[in-house]
Amino acid sequence: MEVLNLEFNEDQIDALREFMNVSIGAATANLANLLDAFGTMHIPKIEICNSSELSQKIESTIDIGSMYYATKQLFTGKFGGECMFIISEESARNLGRHLYNATTPSRDDISDAVIELTNILTSTIVSRLTQELDTQVQFFVPSSQFIDAHSIVNSEDVADYSKIIIISTILDFKDQKINGNIYILTKDEAIKSLKILIDKKIEEIYG
Amino acid sequence: MEIKYPDVLLDSLENGHMIIDDKFIVSYWNRWLAINTQISKEEIIGKKLDEFYPNINYKVLYRKIKTALLINTPSFYDTNSNVKFIPMNRNKVTTSSLMLMQQQVTISPYIACENKVMVSIYDISELFEAKLSLKKEIEKVNKLNDKLEADQEIIDRNIMMMRTSFDGVIIDVSTFFCQFFEFKKDFILGKNISTFKQDGGFSATYKELWETIRNKKCWSGELKLKTYKGEEKWVQSRITPILDIDGEVLEFSAVYHDITNEKLLEELYITDPLTKLYNRAHFDEVVNFIVKHQRKTDTDFVLVITDIDHFKSINDTYGHQIGDEALVSVANTLKDSLREDDLIARWGGEEFVIMLKNVTLDEAKTIIEKVRASVEKNKINGTINATASFGITKYILGEDIKKTFKRVDDALYEAKKSGRNRAVLK
Repeated sequence: MEVLNLEFNEDQIDALREFMNVSIGAATANLANLLDAFGTMHIPKIEICNSSELSQKIESTIDIGSMYYATKQLFTGKFGGECMFIISEESARNLGRHLYNATTPSRDDISDAVIELTNILTSTIVSRLTQELDTQVQFFVPSSQFIDAHSIVNSEDVADYSKIIIISTILDFKDQKINGNIYILTKDEAIKSLKILIDKKIEEIYG
Repeated sequence: MEIKYPDVLLDSLENGHMIIDDKFIVSYWNRWLAINTQISKEEIIGKKLDEFYPNINYKVLYRKIKTALLINTPSFYDTNSNVKFIPMNRNKVTTSSLMLMQQQVTISPYIACENKVMVSIYDISELFEAKLSLKKEIEKVNKLNDKLEADQEIIDRNIMMMRTSFDGVIIDVSTFFCQFFEFKKDFILGKNISTFKQDGGFSATYKELWETIRNKKCWSGELKLKTYKGEEKWVQSRITPILDIDGEVLEFSAVYHDITNEKLLEELYITDPLTKLYNRAHFDEVVNFIVKHQRKTDTDFVLVITDIDHFKSINDTYGHQIGDEALVSVANTLKDSLREDDLIARWGGEEFVIMLKNVTLDEAKTIIEKVRASVEKNKINGTINATASFGITKYILGEDIKKTFKRVDDALYEAKKSGRNRAVLK
């Protein structure tokens, strides 16, 4: 069996970070245009970790005592994976108020608003990233759950993967008091494909 | 009529597809939608969707259309939502959990320059129903778990339980066990079960216990244990071996019930209050049981009756208190000189009865001779000499016990008659 080399060199990391910056810029613009909200997104953090560490990495970025809407959306193609958007109950309620023009939005309204925001974020970031890498992806319908921090990722469920890339950033709409964490997760074979795509792009740019 | 291939394709699909623009004007309506909504394409094409479905949130729909067109990617409604995009009756009869079709609604870019999108509606009722059913089952399991936890707490607080390893190392104990034996749980865990054993006197019981449970059988019986402060406690115990998948003993579980008070009452009932030996009633009960059941292991015994010589004279000379001291002194001498397995009882007045187990008459004679010498040696109240006479006989298998007693009485009579302070065999 072929042993996958899933480590990224410095050039690959730099290139990925640069592509992500562009993608996140596009996402911020789309959010302003579509949701009528002016937000900022932090510089993305790129980490490669063992699958067993995923749950711990996510829990370290959020308040583990709170309840969250966790929305997950799959994408497939040469570079496939899963996007996850985690938003606290309070932020999600503010998002529901903003998108549904309601003082007390229903649970259905909030959930739909979270899915809509996730879809815009995921589609823009991943589409733009894959556009930079000259490849295409297909998105699946997102699903949302209202759960506690510990239930977002079950360590046993991801135990069969060896490595996971976590590309994470924070979305912040100060005026509307909405913020959330975005994670783009990809594993094993997809990491290998991503490395090949990045190398190809570096070759194209720098010759 | 000219056949339009995309129409044929879309009409053959088992889900709904419509094409609308950002003003919600319908330009395509497939066969599935026509059947499920009872609105034909002729009726709806060219008209605005809100004329037929005014309850749709058009602000949200507009935003989703704009998202699809701008990003050139599908946008979605929440598939778990109770709000139906276009409410459609569900015709399934065998279940009533979903009255309306659960829908997955996807808005895909179609002709961007004309601001047209394709709205696709998928029937996900079966999947959703399975999810609801799973959720219900999980809720049931959670409720059962809560009940189980509550029951476990009741058991923990009210029943004495212990789990040990195969080697007797304590793995777990209930809170009630800790309270009863006045130990802290942390102190007990990891210790050996022998922490609770009373010193000595129970080796036969423990040997039988270990042999039984190591042979993968349950053991029930009474055990005398001690608390942290050394207080004696009697417990009725049931010890069960827990086997692994290969049928080998993995650990043991034990349940205990306090019977200390019952044991004290029982002891009072069978004990002579002055000498603390067994009383005549108990001795009779044991002997009658042995004779009735005729078990080989029990019927091999020698019967001895002893009488303090000139006891009346001791009473008359020194008073009843010294007389009582003489009885206690002789009783203690008997207890100290004989084996734990031998049964000693006060027979009445200044007489004692002894059952020596598994000995020959000659061996019995030797044992009793030593006892007689000890009685003679021990001075009552430090000054008074007392002696005792002994009659000895062996129980003959199957004989009436009255005959045995008659023989031993005769032996004692002969010992008295021939000068006292001696033992006679019959």
